[in-house]
Amino acid sequence: MEKELEHRFVTNLEKHQNIVHKICRIYTNDQESHNDLFQEITIQLWKAFPKFRGDAKFSTWMYRVALNTAITLYRKSKRGIKTQDIDTVSFKIKADEYNDETEQQLKLMYTAVKQLNDIDKALVFLYLEDQSYKEISETLGITEVNARVKMNRVKTKLKSILNP
Amino acid sequence: MDELDILKQDWKRQEASLPKLSYDDIYKMLWKRSSSIVKWIFIISIIELFLSTLLSIMFADKAYWDEMERLHLINFTYGFYIVSYAITFYFIYKFYRNYRKISTTDDASTLMKNILKTRRTVKIYIAYVLISTGFSAIIISYFSIKNHRATLQVEETAKYTFETIDWIKFIILGLIALAIFLTLIWLFYRLIYGILLRKLKRNYKELSKLEM
Repeated sequence: MEKELEHRFVTNLEKHQNIVHKICRIYTNDQESHNDLFQEITIQLWKAFPKFRGDAKFSTWMYRVALNTAITLYRKSKRGIKTQDIDTVSFKIKADEYNDETEQQLKLMYTAVKQLNDIDKALVFLYLEDQSYKEISETLGITEVNARVKMNRVKTKLKSILNP
Repeated sequence: MDELDILKQDWKRQEASLPKLSYDDIYKMLWKRSSSIVKWIFIISIIELFLSTLLSIMFADKAYWDEMERLHLINFTYGFYIVSYAITFYFIYKFYRNYRKISTTDDASTLMKNILKTRRTVKIYIAYVLISTGFSAIIISYFSIKNHRATLQVEETAKYTFETIDWIKFIILGLIALAIFLTLIWLFYRLIYGILLRKLKRNYKELSKLEM
């Protein structure tokens, strides 16, 4: 029984691991922290897995537990950020697919997102993951109106970071 | 089209550059130890509950009860202990209930609220222990002085005066000790809050900013 549960969980997580990696990329700055956070999210997901009901989508359920871990449970270790690591965990932009201007803009955007606070990062992440405002509000525990207001503020914040 | 939409178009492409963990890599992680703040809050809270309960029963040995008898405080002490045990059990029960409510499958706001609530229970309990310890120390000191004077022989006036000064010294030293003790506890609290809850509090405030 336990073995079966383990197998079901690991298979699901292996399939949807991108969600966790993307959260780690937004919330951490070096490879070691990325791995640390990934591990903590895995532990929390596994602990919560017995309560997971098949009627919800595994990925939707994952957003909630993984973001809760990143925002609330995870304690950033005070390790210094090694500069050589930053490049391995930052977002890669394929230069050949964009013109120079767009490429530059994207680079700036990813840097700007990293400067946001934890809650704003969660909003941007869920928005980029194509979640509706209803889903965003349910994950964060705020009203839908509030989610929209906050999202607009994030957009303004990003604009001001990009065009100081 | 705004900036975020440009980002959204690129977002899907990012998946190609993400690390890929194997089934075995993930399987191994299931058995690693968690270092989440909830675990630390639980450990620290249990230590605090235990230490403060210990503080309230530590002095209650036979000599203490004999002394209370002599000071005619036996009924007060019994009453005090019954009430304080009841209050302690109530706090432990409340802490346990709040702790059980913490669930990562809740929405972010509820999760943060429940963690802060759990911590608050312990904080109030510590405050209660400190206040009640201070309160009983004052009552006992008062009765000690009162009963001591009543049994003194008036013929030894010089000794009596000396004793009064002694009591004043005792009270002043007691107050200084109490102040140091409270400051240390306060610093200890600042430290724990600084380490564990600063980020959580900031995020909770950020999240509930518009929720009026």
